[in-house]
Amino acid sequence: MLVDYVLRGLKAGLVAGLAFGLFVALVGNPLVGLAETQSHDETGHHGEGGHHESVVSEAVTGAVSVGSGVVWGVLLGVVTFGLAYYFLEPTLPGASDTESYLLAAAGFVTVSGAPWLVLPPRPAGVEQGLPTDVRTFWYATMMVVGAAVCLLSGYAYRRLEPRFGTSTAIGGAALAFGLLGVPVLLAPANPTPGVVSTDLAASHRGFVVFGQAGLWVVLAGAHAWLVRRDRDGGPTAEGRRSAREGPQAVSSD
Amino acid sequence: MATANDSVHGRIESARTELTATKTAIGLAFVAALGFALLFGQDPMLHDSMHNFRHAAGITCH
Repeated sequence: MLVDYVLRGLKAGLVAGLAFGLFVALVGNPLVGLAETQSHDETGHHGEGGHHESVVSEAVTGAVSVGSGVVWGVLLGVVTFGLAYYFLEPTLPGASDTESYLLAAAGFVTVSGAPWLVLPPRPAGVEQGLPTDVRTFWYATMMVVGAAVCLLSGYAYRRLEPRFGTSTAIGGAALAFGLLGVPVLLAPANPTPGVVSTDLAASHRGFVVFGQAGLWVVLAGAHAWLVRRDRDGGPTAEGRRSAREGPQAVSSD
Repeated sequence: MATANDSVHGRIESARTELTATKTAIGLAFVAALGFALLFGQDPMLHDSMHNFRHAAGITCH
């Protein structure tokens, strides 16, 4: 059964990954290149250098980036909708479509949203104040905190809903996200020493948020569709459904 | 009909019977390695090839 779930997550991930790969190819590659040239023009070469002098050609970066985008989607699909959905499905609130979208929202908060509170997306070529290992540490920490807050939020909803009703439960679940503010206050600031065009920074942020939010929406949509398809037909799906929902659910349609 | 699959604990139990420890370890190691490479890998070759992807995905780890 777990294998079925992982396969379904893989399929949804492939759909979302191909969409995101296309996004990287059509928007990501040209825009990152543009940002890099622009910030070079504005700040000139600065001390650290780092990723400006690439060890691979631009074509390789472009191609591998598109491939990484596809793998990224597949990985998120397998982990979120293969593994996490399998274990959390009995406790996720709502109908199956809602379950998929809730899980996608939790995935977005864990993988991107929470880390971005400390380290917002920066355009390419912008020098960052914090050293790489410190930023890696905070990104990883915020992923763990994000996942924990999402679980806590779900737990709060489950506990509050039977006693106080849906709206109070939603309020309690939303309050849990306030805890994200604690590590954000503790985290060090990440100043940008160079001059960064605010237009460039804002448009980059918009493009990144759009890309990741879109990725999760496609992922959830594809997964919800696959779940519906598995429930509506197919001999193995029939067996799964009767195991999960009891015999009355099978005879109801 | 209360099956073992109705709760999170039930799911963990059925996963335990379905998969061997080795399979679980290999699967988790593969997923973790892939995730680490995509998010945090700093090897110049790896990092520079994925540079545009990381910026597009908002991963600021370099």
